[in-house]
Amino acid sequence: MDSRDFSLADDIASHGRRKVLRHSIAPGGKAPSHISGLAPAGGAWVAGSDAPEKKELRIGFIPLTDCASVVMAAVNGFDRQYGVKIVPSREASWASVRDKLVSGELDAAHVLYGLIYGLELGIGGPKKDMAVLMTLNNNGQGISLASQLRERGVTDGPGLKKLVAASPQGTYTFAQTFPTGTHAMWLYYWLAANGIDPLRDVRSIVVPPPQMIANCRVGAMHGFCVGEPWNQRGIADHVSFSVASSQDIWADHPEKVLGTTADWVAKHPNTARALTAAVLEASRWIDASPGNKQKTAESIAEQAFVNTDTEVIVGRMLGRYQDGLGKSWEDSKPMRFFNDGAVNFPYLSDAMWFLTQHKRWGLLKTDPDYLAVARKVNRIDIYRQAAEAAGVALPESDMRTSQLMDGIVWDGREPKKYAAGFKIRA
Amino acid sequence: MLPAILKILVIDELRSRAGEICAGLALAGHQVVAVLAGSSDLSGEVSRIRPDIILIDTEAPSRDTLEHLAIMERDMPRPVLIFARESDNETIRSAIRAGVAAYVVDGLEPGRLKPVIEVAVARFEAHQALKLELLEATKKLSDRKLIDRAKGILMKSRDLDEDAAYAALRRLAMDRSQPLAATAKDVVDMARLLL
Repeated sequence: MDSRDFSLADDIASHGRRKVLRHSIAPGGKAPSHISGLAPAGGAWVAGSDAPEKKELRIGFIPLTDCASVVMAAVNGFDRQYGVKIVPSREASWASVRDKLVSGELDAAHVLYGLIYGLELGIGGPKKDMAVLMTLNNNGQGISLASQLRERGVTDGPGLKKLVAASPQGTYTFAQTFPTGTHAMWLYYWLAANGIDPLRDVRSIVVPPPQMIANCRVGAMHGFCVGEPWNQRGIADHVSFSVASSQDIWADHPEKVLGTTADWVAKHPNTARALTAAVLEASRWIDASPGNKQKTAESIAEQAFVNTDTEVIVGRMLGRYQDGLGKSWEDSKPMRFFNDGAVNFPYLSDAMWFLTQHKRWGLLKTDPDYLAVARKVNRIDIYRQAAEAAGVALPESDMRTSQLMDGIVWDGREPKKYAAGFKIRA
Repeated sequence: MLPAILKILVIDELRSRAGEICAGLALAGHQVVAVLAGSSDLSGEVSRIRPDIILIDTEAPSRDTLEHLAIMERDMPRPVLIFARESDNETIRSAIRAGVAAYVVDGLEPGRLKPVIEVAVARFEAHQALKLELLEATKKLSDRKLIDRAKGILMKSRDLDEDAAYAALRRLAMDRSQPLAATAKDVVDMARLLL
């Protein structure tokens, strides 16, 4: 433990938080290169005025493996450590999550990164000032193709390109989960990287995740992009096979966020911090050991949460992948909830990436002020306070650099040029 | 220009409710089509029907399918939502309370939407009452199951017969001034943890 950790521990103790501060640096003793030490503790709030404004919080989630940190914060009581009570509320659709965030029926939600920004900019519907408190997970989504394509010799992207090119436009249908959401963007990106225009060459539809496998079975679509456990479920049911995981498209990509409205944060700043800290604790706990992941899978497999078998959930959570074509491997980038806090920091470059893709695919007609929008929505200020309270390391920069599957690098600079630079676009 | 007769699409998982809403709207002179939400090609059906108004259960998973059509196809109906400035819109508020979500094509006058929503709300509310009754009945059933399981656990772990186990459970519930089912649940949870 270095001196900064001690000073933070003292700071936290002086605020009456008598919790054991777990070491936030990787077991090797060295912090990952993109994570520096903790931020100075000077920004801490004043003791006595930091009580949550609201105690009981309804947090919406969609039954997917990556709802785990929100659910486990409640199941394991991390919420109570921070003076709030999380009541997880299972929602039937992203549209319903959106409506309930806007109407205030939900305090916050496990939600698609892109959905928050679609709502912020009023893409195809209501416009509302939104807030991202933290990123909930990296990785762990996937693209599957229907078994009938395998019978026709298609087992990968280039094979699919050949098949699509040989048929009239719109012959093949691909499903994702929400028009501005992450799965739409992973699917479009993957198709385009394989030379398939997602808007012209194929037809795209939306199917709710729990209905994905049943719809694929009856031939409603030829492929889909969805979060786990549904790709694994398709393999288990012999309906589909995996052709790419989302981490193949972008290793350690941002996925779901803890989202709410800007109004809600303005009214409940202490609650926002407490909620974020509690979910950070849960994130750290889940990633801490395979045993914890097993327990997490059991908890979320229960009827109230994901409603599928623990085995189907836990394999890919632990990085044990199979593609349904006979190949199995240990994925070095499986779904992650914490990774020493690198998962959770609401990087501005992550947020801007979704905006660039919304522009790329014509969901945004003009370029927004990318950086200004991201700065406004991603509440790095709240996140920093929560990370300090939970003893989670903060990165040096608000941006990060990533290389996606087509070799193109995204570092948050020149978003307008990046959005316009793709060969296949709207 | 919108046609004089509104074309309304009702998407519902409940065949009986869909039928009732359609009947109500048809009586009011609208052209109505019902589609069951389990349909494997909802996108295709909505694209073919090209409705002016879509009515759907707020909690229907298929709503996201409609969101996609709304965004990707210009002439598809868009979600109607409460905003602060529209919060005095009693029709929409009552729709949301009843669990009716509406999608409406651009340019449709609010005055034409109102009677349509009112019919749907009335039918939804009637069904809601039925659903609550059913829920109550199911809960009673699952309470009985819990009590049976707790009894089984007590019989096994304390070597009691069925009557004695039931009496023990009742005593425990009375001591904790809890409903019997709540105590049974605690026993089952505890057993799961310890046994």
